[in-house]
Amino acid sequence: MNTAIELKNIKKAYGDKVILEGFCLSVARGEFVTIIGSSGCGKTTVLKMINGLIKPTSGDVFVDGENIRSKNIIQLRRNIGYAIQGSVLFPHMTVGQNISYVPNLLNKRDRARTRSAVSKWMGIVGLDEELKDRYPSELSGGQQQRVGIARALAASPDILLMDEPFGAVDEITRSQLQTELRQIYEKTGITVLFVTHDISEALKLGTKVLVMDQGIIQQYARPDELMRKPATDFVKQLVQL
Amino acid sequence: MLQNIWSIFLDRKEFFLDLLWEHLGISLLAILIAILFGGIVGILISEFQRTAKPALGVINFLYTIPSISMLGFLIPFSGIGNATAVIALTIYALLPMVRNTHTGMTNVDPAIIEAAAGMGSTRLQILWKIKLPLAMPVILSGIRNMVTMTIALAGIASFIGAGGLGVAIYRGITTNNTAMTMAGSALIALLALVMDLLLGFVEKRMGMRSIKAKKENRMLAIAALALCVCIAISTMFALGGGDTIRIATKPMTEQYILGEMLDILIEGDTDLNVELTQGVGGGTSNIQPAMESGEFDLYPEYTGTGWNMVLKKDGLYTEDLFASMQQEYQDSLHMQWAGMYGFNNTYGLVVRNEIAQKYHIQTYSDLQKISKELVFGAEYDFFEREDGYDALCKTYGLSFKKTMDMDIGLKYQAISQDKIDVMVIFTTDGQLSVSDVTVLQDDKNFYPSYLCGNVIRSEILEEHPELMDIFHRLTDTISDEDMAQMNYAVESQDKEPREVAESFLKDANLIK
Repeated sequence: MNTAIELKNIKKAYGDKVILEGFCLSVARGEFVTIIGSSGCGKTTVLKMINGLIKPTSGDVFVDGENIRSKNIIQLRRNIGYAIQGSVLFPHMTVGQNISYVPNLLNKRDRARTRSAVSKWMGIVGLDEELKDRYPSELSGGQQQRVGIARALAASPDILLMDEPFGAVDEITRSQLQTELRQIYEKTGITVLFVTHDISEALKLGTKVLVMDQGIIQQYARPDELMRKPATDFVKQLVQL
Repeated sequence: MLQNIWSIFLDRKEFFLDLLWEHLGISLLAILIAILFGGIVGILISEFQRTAKPALGVINFLYTIPSISMLGFLIPFSGIGNATAVIALTIYALLPMVRNTHTGMTNVDPAIIEAAAGMGSTRLQILWKIKLPLAMPVILSGIRNMVTMTIALAGIASFIGAGGLGVAIYRGITTNNTAMTMAGSALIALLALVMDLLLGFVEKRMGMRSIKAKKENRMLAIAALALCVCIAISTMFALGGGDTIRIATKPMTEQYILGEMLDILIEGDTDLNVELTQGVGGGTSNIQPAMESGEFDLYPEYTGTGWNMVLKKDGLYTEDLFASMQQEYQDSLHMQWAGMYGFNNTYGLVVRNEIAQKYHIQTYSDLQKISKELVFGAEYDFFEREDGYDALCKTYGLSFKKTMDMDIGLKYQAISQDKIDVMVIFTTDGQLSVSDVTVLQDDKNFYPSYLCGNVIRSEILEEHPELMDIFHRLTDTISDEDMAQMNYAVESQDKEPREVAESFLKDANLIK
C-alpha cells in the first residue's frame, strides 16, 4: 500500500459556515508533508480528520487504504502519533509517565518494553535520562516540546500528525528541534503531516508542501517546485516573504 | 463560664466522650456515603452534560429544606434515631460533594482532554487517568467543606432521638444547664476543627509528587479508610449483651429523672440492659409512633395525654376513665399502663406578678378582661392538643394579643425576660417556686388529670415479667411536692438528673 493517507471529497461545515468543500488529498507512504496557510484556512481541521477527532460532514478518509469509518477509532489513534502546539503534556504525570502513555494503552503488562522505548526515544530527542522523573512544570519550553515529540513517537507509529509543535519556543531552540525532527524522519521513514504557519519552516522540513487558503488547496508540490513555479498569486506572495 | 464548661466536662468525662464517639460515627457514616454516592453522581453528570442541570437543581432544592423539617419528614420512613439522622446528613452533604466534583471535572483543560483522546484513550481511560486526577484539588476542597458542615449539622440529630453531642446540647437547653449546652457545642466545634486540620494534611500530602510520597500516601489512605469504616459501623450496631429494654423520655427535666430511675432499677435488679434515649424532640408525637413500630419499649406518660392525644378522645379526662383507657390501650395498641408514680403533673396557668397585681387577676376567668393585651406562651404540644389552647380560649372566652410557641425548656426564661405575660406551666415545675409569677385558679375546672405512669409494650411485659415487680415498687412513691423538689434540684441547683434520681430512690428505700 503506497498511499498512507487519502482524503476523498471532504466537506466540513459548521451550520452555515463551510470550512472545506470537495477537498482531496493523497499522501504517499514516507512523505513529510507540511501544511501551510493563514489562520482559519482549515489546516488543523484536515489534520484532525485523519485521527477522527473531527468527523467530515461528507466524504471519506482512508488510512492505509481502509476507510476510517469502518475502523476501531481507538486502535487507529494508538497507532498514529499526535503532537500539538504547546505540547500539552499531562501536568500530573512525570516525563517518563507522559512518554509511556500510549505504550501503556497498548500493552500495560510489558513494563520492560515500555521502559526501553522511553529510554530510546528520550535519547533520540536529546533529553537527559535523569529528567525522566521530573514533572512538566519543571522543564523549559524546549524540553517540554521534546517530551511532546517523544510522547508522540513512543509507540513507534507509522504516521505522525503534528500541529504547530514548535510554535511556543524561541528561534534557536526551534531551529534545533526542526533539525532533530528531520533526522528522526530520515532514520525511521515515518509518514509525517506537519501543520505550520511559518513558510520557511514548511519549506525547510517538507518533502512536499500543501498550501491552503480558506479551505481551498492552492498548491501541493515539492518545495523547490513551489518556489520556482508558484501556482497562484497566493502562493507567489507566500514564498516571496 | 469557661470555668463551668471545663468543670462539667471533667465531671462527666465519660458521658461526653461517649457522645463524641457517637457523633463522630454518625457523621463519618454520612460523610462516607456522601463521598461515594455524591462522587459517582458528580462524575456521571459531568460526563453526560445534559443531566447536569436537572440533577444539580434537585440537589439544590433538597439543600434548601430546613434540616428540622427534613428530619421530621423522614421519621415516618426511617423511624427515630441514628438511621434517620444519617440519611438526613447524607442528603445535605450531597450538594457540596456533587457540585465540587462536577466543577472539578468540567474545568479540566479541554486541550489536555483532546490530546488524550487523540492519542487513543477510551472515554473511561480519560476519566480515570486524566480527568479525575486533575479534578482532585477541587473535589478535595469540596470534601473539606462538606465534612465541617456535616459535623456541625449532626448536632441537630439528637432532636429526633439520635445520638451524638447534640444530646448534651439539647439536654442543657431543657434542664436550664447552660454549661452543658456550651460544653456540647464546644466539643462539636473542636471535632470539626480537628477533622478540617486532618483534611488539610491530606490535601498537602496529595500535592506531594515524589514516588516515595505516593507509595506512603496509598498506605495511609487505606489505613484511614479502614479506620473510618470501623468507627462508622461501630456506631450503628451498638453491641449490648443480653436483652435490652429501650426506654424513651420526653425532653423535660422530670422525665429525665424518671428515665434515670428506671435505668437504675432495671439494670440493678434484673438481668436486662437498658438503652435510654433521653429527650426525644416532639414528645408524645414522636415517641408514640416509635412505640407502635417497636423502636421503643417503655416511656413515662401522663394519663390525660394518653386519653386526649394518643387515643384521640374528646372531652375532659378524669381518673374514673382510667380503666377504660387501660382496656383500650391493651386492645388497640397492645400496650399498657404500669407503675403509676402518684404525682399529678397537670397544666396550670401563671401570669407575671406585676400584671396579676395591677389587674387583680386570680382566676382563669379574670384573664378575660385583659387577654387582648397579653402575650401567651406555651410549648408546641399545647397548641395541638384537644384540651390545649383552642379549648382553653373557648371555655374562658380568651383572646390573646399574640401567641408564642417554644420549647418547654425555654419558657421560664421567656417569662422572666418579660417576653411573654401568660404562660402554661406544669404543677410539678421546679422553677415555679422561684419565678416571679402567680399561679391562677382553674375556676371552671378545665384541666384534666395527668397522673404520671409508665406505658410499656405488652409484648415486652410478657417476655419479662420481672419488670412488673419494679413497677409495683414504684407505684405511689412520688408526690407532687417530691417531683417539684427533684425538678428544682436539677434545674436550679445544677444537680444531675441521675444524682437526684439515685438519692430519691435511696431515701425511699427502693435501692440500697
